[in-house]
Amino acid sequence: MAHNKTSARVLTWGTIPKTVPSILQDLPVICAGLALFYALLSLTHYWMAPASSQTVIDLQVSALPKYAMFSVLRIAIAYVFSLLFTLVYGYIAAYNAKAEKFLIPLLDTLQSIPVLSFLPGVMLAMVALFPTRQLGVELGSILLIFTGQVWNMTFSFYSSLKSIPREMREVAEIYRWSWWQRFTQMELPYAAIGLVWNSMMSVAGGWFFLMACEMFVLGNRDLRLPGLGSYLQTAANAGDMRAIASGLGVMIGIIVLIDQLIWRPVIAWTEKFKFEQVESVDTPHSFVLDLLRRSRVLPFVARISLIPAREYLSLYFAKRRAASVAEQNTSVVGIWISRLLSGAILVGVAYAFMKMSILLSGLTKTEVRGIFVGAGATFLRVALTLVLAGMWTIPVGIMVGLKPKLSAIVQPVAQIAASVPATALFPIILLVLIRVGGGLGIGSIVLLLLGTQWYILFNVIAGAMAIPTDLKEVCNVFRFDKLERWRELYLPGIFPYLITGFVTASGGAWNASIIAEYFRFKGQTYTVTGLGSVISSAADSGNSRVLIGATILMAAMVVTINRLLWRRLYALAATKFKLET
Amino acid sequence: MTPPLVGKLNELVSQQKWEPAIELLQGLSASDAADLIMAMRFEEQQVLFRRLPIPLAASIVNHLPYFHAYVLLHARSLHEMAAIVEAMTQAERDHFLDALPEEAWNSLMDELAEAGSTAAPHSVQSSEAGQEKETAARITSDDKPIIEARGISKSFAQKDGSEIQVIAPVDLSVEPNTIIALLGPSGSGKSTLLRMLTGLAAPTSGEVLWHGAPVGACSPNVAIVFQSFALFPWLTVLENVESPLLARGMEHEERHSKALKAIDAVGLKNFETAYPKELSGGMKQRVGFARALAVEPEVLFMDEPFSALDVLTAENLRGDLMDLWLAKKIPTRSIFIVTHNIEEAVLLADRVIVLGRNPARIRADFRIALPQPRDRKSAAFFPYVDYIYKVMTKPELTLAPPSATAKQPTPLLPHARPGGVAGLLELLIDRGGEEDLYHVAETLLLEVDDLLPILDAATMLGFAAAHEGDVKITPQGRAFAEADISSRRRLFREALTHVPLMQQIVLALESKSDHTMPLEFFRDLLDERLPAHDVEQQIETALNWGRYADIFTYDSESDRLRLIQPGETANSREPARLH
Repeated sequence: MAHNKTSARVLTWGTIPKTVPSILQDLPVICAGLALFYALLSLTHYWMAPASSQTVIDLQVSALPKYAMFSVLRIAIAYVFSLLFTLVYGYIAAYNAKAEKFLIPLLDTLQSIPVLSFLPGVMLAMVALFPTRQLGVELGSILLIFTGQVWNMTFSFYSSLKSIPREMREVAEIYRWSWWQRFTQMELPYAAIGLVWNSMMSVAGGWFFLMACEMFVLGNRDLRLPGLGSYLQTAANAGDMRAIASGLGVMIGIIVLIDQLIWRPVIAWTEKFKFEQVESVDTPHSFVLDLLRRSRVLPFVARISLIPAREYLSLYFAKRRAASVAEQNTSVVGIWISRLLSGAILVGVAYAFMKMSILLSGLTKTEVRGIFVGAGATFLRVALTLVLAGMWTIPVGIMVGLKPKLSAIVQPVAQIAASVPATALFPIILLVLIRVGGGLGIGSIVLLLLGTQWYILFNVIAGAMAIPTDLKEVCNVFRFDKLERWRELYLPGIFPYLITGFVTASGGAWNASIIAEYFRFKGQTYTVTGLGSVISSAADSGNSRVLIGATILMAAMVVTINRLLWRRLYALAATKFKLET
Repeated sequence: MTPPLVGKLNELVSQQKWEPAIELLQGLSASDAADLIMAMRFEEQQVLFRRLPIPLAASIVNHLPYFHAYVLLHARSLHEMAAIVEAMTQAERDHFLDALPEEAWNSLMDELAEAGSTAAPHSVQSSEAGQEKETAARITSDDKPIIEARGISKSFAQKDGSEIQVIAPVDLSVEPNTIIALLGPSGSGKSTLLRMLTGLAAPTSGEVLWHGAPVGACSPNVAIVFQSFALFPWLTVLENVESPLLARGMEHEERHSKALKAIDAVGLKNFETAYPKELSGGMKQRVGFARALAVEPEVLFMDEPFSALDVLTAENLRGDLMDLWLAKKIPTRSIFIVTHNIEEAVLLADRVIVLGRNPARIRADFRIALPQPRDRKSAAFFPYVDYIYKVMTKPELTLAPPSATAKQPTPLLPHARPGGVAGLLELLIDRGGEEDLYHVAETLLLEVDDLLPILDAATMLGFAAAHEGDVKITPQGRAFAEADISSRRRLFREALTHVPLMQQIVLALESKSDHTMPLEFFRDLLDERLPAHDVEQQIETALNWGRYADIFTYDSESDRLRLIQPGETANSREPARLH
């Protein structure tokens, strides 16, 4: 600790430097608390309002703050749901060997289903639950955002739980930790870093699909919810460039703000959960976190609420655990409950499968042809997108990554660029394309590219930065020319990172195709041939058999490509191209 | 040994009835008498041995384990010791002295010479008596074992459904007031055995009893110190040490003071608020100890606790631990330490258990009758080290009955490189062709874990022979060590004709018309009878040896082995890039 006394990073919650005026320090914290309270209040007020069939989206700039707040809260609530789901699902999958066999492939499949395919089911269920209140549609929208956010978080949590070192688990077992202590002192901290990074990706995904999630057609009903997504969509429909620009500006502003106010501090904070034996030299830093750490209000609040609560819960669960060791029964009941439960699930699955088969058998020949042709077109489109993305990101990423000074400038800029949801830019791009004579054919590829290239770029930069200096020096000593350097060092060196980038990009591209291939603009619907547009139009027209058929095909294709291509390349990357330090 | 006799002898000794006890021993054959003495507690052995008439002692000595005899002899005055050695028959004396390692032999010779000129029986006697009182006090309380393992074994299921036994049924008990060291080569299942004793792992068969109750039902008070420390990096030192106390539902105040006490005891005062990553390896392990001691375990288990530390740090920490234990500053009743470091075991333990491998079974279980603190340079220290090397290098020394599995597997390749074998042989030539194993380990700075595979490899190839803890170079070994690089390859190739697995590979390759074979084929062959980890080691070693000996080449792209034809050398086919 001694080597870094001046840095605020080492300050703990309890120590406050005397020199800083503390009221000023705490002002932002208090304001943030009040704002959140107001937002929740107005949201509940709106939710409890009677359902209106036709919400009119106000394109005035003055309406934007309210819309932005609604959208942020929607994403936030969906995120909280995602987190809860992640913890429960990940926990069961990691600890119940029987459930694991079935939960993980299921997760794999769910992950490959595009958001819109969930739309009719989710919406109809929610509207049926709350027929008279706005809450029904609202919950439906939140659930849609949820389906776009949750899967990768769950995967991350599950694999973290699976990779907790054996000896750590043995400590917990030999000292008979309660599940609560295991959860708070071992599992959650161990999974924290992966969970935070995936949360960031998930929320970015939420913004990406926001337009689709806030405004949609369900049968004969045209549903729209007040929010930034519907604002942008309506503005695009109306061709109102001023509204598009201001909506986009607000969205980017919010995204940057959330990044600075939430993600940066959280990342800097999770640094302490890094599973490392020695302290790393270069640690993430956040101004906001420093501010919070200097606050006097927060430690006080923690002292009267969090710390006693934690103490109480820990002791409560510890005593309960000690008591349960003494008894050790209830297992017979437990077995029967789990048997009944799995029986019920099995029956439910069988019934759903039968229903689905009946529905699918109603598919006409043209519909089937449409689905398969669409699948082929989207496959080619995604492949082309990945090739295009690779063509510019690999050279640029390597060049940036090899020069630390350059990457220090480029990375933050690229991160902001990447955080802008491509869907929000889409109307502008489309407008330009239509003016110069291109159509959605090019537009869809541009959109896919905008949505997915960043994953590859960031990974390539990271890979190039990780190339060991001694290998670069070998190239200098033996005077390798440019070609040799690239062939012998740079490309093999970044290979594992590149594959990681491509896997993420490929999954994202398939999912994004539902928006890229079907777009309503200036009162017109632009479509190109593709599986995404088949799904989107089926969702719009309420054709559930086409929707299900196309969804199954897309899920099957994504899963197959993952298994056949990416997993093998992963294995290759992990063995042959691993740069061991 | 017949239990009634042991009981009777114990009773006589405890009542200090020396004459009937000696009579009883005299009525037996020397080897039975020796066995009877070995069945007693060491402290009583010492007392009894001091009373034995010289001729009786002399006849018994040679039937005791030589390392034990060495210590018992020193229970008597120098003068008497010399007399006992004198009274042994020529053959017996030679046998005993031959078994002793160099240092012990030298020391004994000096002592005998000294006894011949000026005998000083009284001073030695008195110091030994003081020692005896102290150690005896430790053992008297009650000898009922804390842990009893009855026939515990462990098997792991293979991919094809068959089972591989890694630990053969083992009986083991942990008595109070002892430090038990469990030694064995790497991969012998030491850690698994430890985990079965603590209840962390369930044995495939047999049962583990704590104070007579099954371990699963009684939640014993144990603690484990891990090789990797297993600290939680996001908890401070204090929180790490408090965590097991929290699990017991201990209130904040008490938890805090207990944890601070434990932290203080291991010398980490003022580091309570530090995070583990700010600490050095030795300090991290101190936190590990503090966490273990905070729960005041009845038995403290340690799984190679010093292996991840450098030599000096380990020595320091070991010393501090022994200080705590000997001064009874910790309420722990027994310590069970798993280690692969022979000197460490002899330094710390009251009792040493040596495991064999494939599957693991107990090959030796004996007491170390040296007073604490021990000096690793003392003459009596070496016979123990020497004996353990003997046990570990001599397969036929197995005490347990041979395994029930009928099929005799082909011997495994020791995980060693040709370069390591050459290094060992060169050292042997340097030392005149023969050397004590523990000297070899010391000179090469190798742990027994690293030395044994090299020695096994040298033996398997016929380059060296191990005998009674010594290793001797063979003429082939000498030729190999003195040859130039290309002749070494040839000699190595010739030596490999004695190695079954390598011969299998060569035969399989020869039988194919194109002389190539996927490596996967051999991997599958081994998979049937070995755990996955061992298969990888076998394959790696086979590739290493085969490539070194120019027998075959291996292409990792296609995963195929290719036999090198006679007359063709590996070098001729390599691309001539470097020219």
